[in-house]
Amino acid sequence: MTEWINASWIIALLGIFAVSLSGSGIKGYAAASAILLSSAVTSWLAVNALIGQPLDLTINAGIFLGDIPIRIDQLSAWFILIINFTSITGAFFGTGYLKVYENAPSKLTLHWSLFVLFHLSMVWVCMVQNGFAFLIVWEIMSLSSMLLVIFDNHHLQTLKAGLNYLVQMHISVVFLTVGFIWVYSKTGSLSFDAIRTFFQTNNNLWPFLVFFVGFGFKAGFIPLHSWLPHAHPAAPSHVSGVMSGVIVKLGIYGIFRTISYLQSDFNLLGEIIITLSVLTGIYGILNASVHRDYKRMLAYCTIENIGIIGIGIGIGLIGIGTSSPVMYFLGFGGALLHVLNHSLFKSLLFYSAGSIFQQTHTRDMEQLGGLLKSMPKTALLFLVGAIAIGGLPPFNGFISEFIIYSGLIEGIHSNSMYQIILMILVLAGLCVIGGLSVMAFTKTYGTLFLGQPRKTLDHQPHEVSRLMLVPQYLIIALMLSIAFVPQFYLNAIGNILLSMRFPISIDTITIAFYSGSAAKIGLISLIFIGLICLFWLIRATLTRKKPQATETTWGCGYVAPNSSMQYSGKSFTKPVGKLFNSLLIEKKNFEEFKPEEIFPEKRKYDSNYVDFFESNFIDKITKYLIIGAGYFRFIQNGRTQSYVLYGILFILIMFLLTIFNLIK
Amino acid sequence: MLSFILILLAAFFFTGVINRTKSILSGRKGPGIFQPVKDVLRLFKKGAVYSKTTSFIFQIAPTIYFSSVVMAMLVVPFGQSKGIISFNGDFIFFAYALALGKFFSIIAALDTGSSFEGMGASREALYSMFAEPAFFILLGSLALLTGKTSFHEIFADFHLGSSISYALAVLSAFVLGMITMIENSRMPIDDPKTHLELTMVHEVMILDNSGFDLGLILSAGLLKFSIYGALIVNLFIGIFPYQYTIPMFFAIQILAAVIIGTIESFMARFRMSHNAQFIFALTSVSLLIFFGVLMVLGKFI
Repeated sequence: MTEWINASWIIALLGIFAVSLSGSGIKGYAAASAILLSSAVTSWLAVNALIGQPLDLTINAGIFLGDIPIRIDQLSAWFILIINFTSITGAFFGTGYLKVYENAPSKLTLHWSLFVLFHLSMVWVCMVQNGFAFLIVWEIMSLSSMLLVIFDNHHLQTLKAGLNYLVQMHISVVFLTVGFIWVYSKTGSLSFDAIRTFFQTNNNLWPFLVFFVGFGFKAGFIPLHSWLPHAHPAAPSHVSGVMSGVIVKLGIYGIFRTISYLQSDFNLLGEIIITLSVLTGIYGILNASVHRDYKRMLAYCTIENIGIIGIGIGIGLIGIGTSSPVMYFLGFGGALLHVLNHSLFKSLLFYSAGSIFQQTHTRDMEQLGGLLKSMPKTALLFLVGAIAIGGLPPFNGFISEFIIYSGLIEGIHSNSMYQIILMILVLAGLCVIGGLSVMAFTKTYGTLFLGQPRKTLDHQPHEVSRLMLVPQYLIIALMLSIAFVPQFYLNAIGNILLSMRFPISIDTITIAFYSGSAAKIGLISLIFIGLICLFWLIRATLTRKKPQATETTWGCGYVAPNSSMQYSGKSFTKPVGKLFNSLLIEKKNFEEFKPEEIFPEKRKYDSNYVDFFESNFIDKITKYLIIGAGYFRFIQNGRTQSYVLYGILFILIMFLLTIFNLIK
Repeated sequence: MLSFILILLAAFFFTGVINRTKSILSGRKGPGIFQPVKDVLRLFKKGAVYSKTTSFIFQIAPTIYFSSVVMAMLVVPFGQSKGIISFNGDFIFFAYALALGKFFSIIAALDTGSSFEGMGASREALYSMFAEPAFFILLGSLALLTGKTSFHEIFADFHLGSSISYALAVLSAFVLGMITMIENSRMPIDDPKTHLELTMVHEVMILDNSGFDLGLILSAGLLKFSIYGALIVNLFIGIFPYQYTIPMFFAIQILAAVIIGTIESFMARFRMSHNAQFIFALTSVSLLIFFGVLMVLGKFI
């Protein structure tokens, strides 16, 4: 098995060589084929693990690191398969997306080498089971993705977003390091197995929360989410698709991994996670519905979906705490399935958003409109993604949301009043999330694709190349397979849950029962589509011979309407913005009319929404940090003499401390 | 199957009864109660005018909207007899199937590029979003009360035992009734008879639809009324045998229609800006039911 594991990184390295040697036209293909080959290797291992042959081996990494366990168990396998699929589609889409950069080969070389490295590091994050090695791989992943984000490095905004991401990821690493050191100080081992022994003998709550915060940064739980709305719009779309689809999920992977070692406090942790997740979901989708940058909107929507996944995790934890195997299965199963679902439709949406950006060069949806006529295929792809992400039948989003809903309803049948109340409130929260996501996506879809163009663009948009469309068709094919044959995926998830060692266990009968009822929903989704086709046929036959005319849109008698009179996306969601104005802070820039101004002149008005947590907490904390750090600015005075003095002082202090036995 | 036929039958007269009530109360003779159905049939025979701005979305949306309502209709049970589709958690499917129809009717309205229709679409999206928690908390509470999770089992087990369960049934009927009004864009949320595009909600979204498509939208509206009526009926019929429940079904449907007609005759529409709060307040009634259920079950500690 070692040769397979080694093959995965050797292929990636060869891929990086191939990328640097090849001509700028085929760099993308070189990277994509390296990813494809390396994925084939790891996917084969992952599929083996899922059907019951987990990989377990140890690599000796010298005296310092010691033995590093490399494991692909069922949980890793699930995430590895998700990473591989999304990275492959991302690489092919990106090849088409970056076609215009063919005259900048050095940029492309760097980008595609990093992309291969990025994919490799994500897969290895799921395999390495030693704290120190894990942090190294985790860091490679963060750094490579940061460098991928700042592809458009001549934009100040992009660089800022990249730095923001870099800083936040390192705060996350601090928490993870503290967690691993905590475990190490008690058990003397950095291996993941030590976490289990650690949890067996120590308090579970606080160490778990340290890990949760560390991984929560990556996943984007509020208030740790603020890098997402900056990094996702700034990155090239295939990178945002892979980041939003996969890298965020690795935060979820980390949380799942830590949960799998938990020994007690399930109920309390479940309640904490479920509450935080509902708030994350509502906050995310509220912001998604008001923003006019469509890629930022998708980023906020990712936060929402992390909330939904978190609700599933919370239900699962409460299920373990109250020894209800059904809740355990529905909660964790729904969460794991939603991880897969979200990675699919979010990457699909980011890719089609990328197609729009490539053709129009603007991320402001209020300047677009009527794109359906010039980019019909992209419009259809985005529509499928939008319906699926809203959790509407007959697509795959409904399946996972339905399972999570079922978990909540199962949780209602409880004896504890607190649990019942929590579950009913989460139920209400989840359906508000559903309703708001319909609002957010009708707005985005309507503003981008429907109506008339709001502005004449310098370059007439056209349908994108087949290279960019085919990966999206592939994603839709997989989405439909989940929608119509969910039992296949649920059985795989059942295997994952069977392999986890928790105080409660589920039997195959429960899994078979619930995957059976999911199969029924798959069937009903098919019936639904059949019904739509049936009515469409009836309509087509009945209206074939009827007269049809084309006229202008009804304008209440006004005969000269123009495209700027259309309802804007901002007005569409203004009522939501007003109702939740304490969370959705609108910054307006305008000049008041003065009383002496009898004939007002031309003036400008603009408004935008700012992130509640960022403007109220993070920015303030940063401001005080900068003020505080300002007091120590005298240290860095640019004189070499002072720096030498610092060195001498340091040695002196060390010397004195040793003499007085204060440090050993 | 039974529920499907009954809902279909009720759809024929429900809107007609509302209109008739309104006309009698305003001192007119009014059209016959089958007039709405005749209108729909006439529309089915007509040709259509499409806007130049619209795309295929505008053409498929009415069909999908209609299908989603039919799909929702399939899961509604009737007393002891199941709906055609019945499974655990089918009420989630009910709400989400309707939401798909709404999704398409909203984007169809945006497809016309008319600011009026965009305005209506925005309101429709907002109101239906606010109505959803009320529905889910209500059904969640009933699921808690009966210990079941499908429409059919919940309603079959909804025994009217103690007097507080009667109160629960009446409150639930109130919530469902208000949701009916919101979903069908009726008073006090929306005034279907208004002539000013700026104050419309649902009517303005379908301004550009004509011919067969308009017929589909209107017939979906007729069906929606009787679907929600059937849900209300289900709260009361429980385990009674069919010879009582079928007449009761029609009696309650007609009563509901008459009440809606009466409300519409004597009430004015709420201010648009207050609608959202009003609808959200419905959730508190649902929460009342929820706490009632907790009390009935003795789980209040």
